[in-house]
Amino acid sequence: MSHTQMMKGILDGCLLGIIKGKETYGYEMAERLSNYGFSAVSEGTIYPILMRMQREGLVTSVRKESTAGPKRKYYSLTIKGEQALEDFLIRWKQLEENVNAVITQEIKK
Amino acid sequence: MDHFTLSEKSQKFIDDLRIYLFSSGKNDKEINEITEELEAHIYEAEINNKSIEQIIGASPKQYMQSISQEMKTDIHSWMLYIPLIIIGAFSFSVFGDLLQGTLSYSIIIITGTILYSLLFTASVFTAFRYIAKNQLSRIKELLILGSVVVLSLFFIFGIIIADSFYNSPTINFGIIGSIFTGLIFFSFIITFSIWSKTVVLPLFLAAIHLPDLLLRYTSFQEESQLAISITVTYIFIAGYLFYVVRKEKRSSE
Repeated sequence: MSHTQMMKGILDGCLLGIIKGKETYGYEMAERLSNYGFSAVSEGTIYPILMRMQREGLVTSVRKESTAGPKRKYYSLTIKGEQALEDFLIRWKQLEENVNAVITQEIKK
Repeated sequence: MDHFTLSEKSQKFIDDLRIYLFSSGKNDKEINEITEELEAHIYEAEINNKSIEQIIGASPKQYMQSISQEMKTDIHSWMLYIPLIIIGAFSFSVFGDLLQGTLSYSIIIITGTILYSLLFTASVFTAFRYIAKNQLSRIKELLILGSVVVLSLFFIFGIIIADSFYNSPTINFGIIGSIFTGLIFFSFIITFSIWSKTVVLPLFLAAIHLPDLLLRYTSFQEESQLAISITVTYIFIAGYLFYVVRKEKRSSE
């Protein structure tokens, strides 16, 4: 499995998490992801995801003036988005447990 | 819109993305939204010495496609564009023919013109998509678009030759029908110009037909009339394009 395939879905969840923390814009999200160690992901990857999440009603956006540079588009979570984040956390926890179980019981045996 | 300077490479990417999305039939408003958001991102990234590759990854083509996939195709606008293009294409021959007398068109010419408009539009848009997603240079861009235009001219010649070889039913408009059709096309051009906020269609029509009409009242020989008419047309169109390009440049500065 390639890195990108594995990242699909996981990035969605991480973005929802970052947006939940505080209303934020694309560049800042990319910076935060990279600080958390997602440096192999090219920054622009977030935009198609944000577009899809907005279409699905998980996030809303508003354009705001910036002190230096062009206007920025700030995203925040909707109630549906909060729910999607909850679902992600449950699925991730399950997946993490399963993968860890395989690692400890099968691979390191 | 405020203009913020991006590096040449990034600006070309943004321009190409815009063309790619437009020629993929995406909605104008959504195109502006995503390109402005990316412009803002790249602007901030470049201040922090990041390269465009760090943002869009190794393949601009794949990145453009991933953006395009998340956007709806704007069929509604296309339903409007296609008849506009067909009527626009017809208006050139209608006015020319009206100056010569009453209108009469064979079925081959009518279906040929409709087919030509559809094929021409489809191939220009395919060419634009190809050029944009592969980020080709200006010279390659001109070569590709040039070949589309040349091929389309062959298609027109094909229709004219087919029309002279085969007798297909002909619709004669008569005097009243011709005047009526002329008026319909005239009001279409006025409406189109107001709607699109550009005078390009009436200007090109005038450039093509006016010299011809005016020269008929002179005592020049037919060959020199033709030569003068074509020259005036080209000078007129070149002048207009020069004016548009200068205006674009000034507004982006």
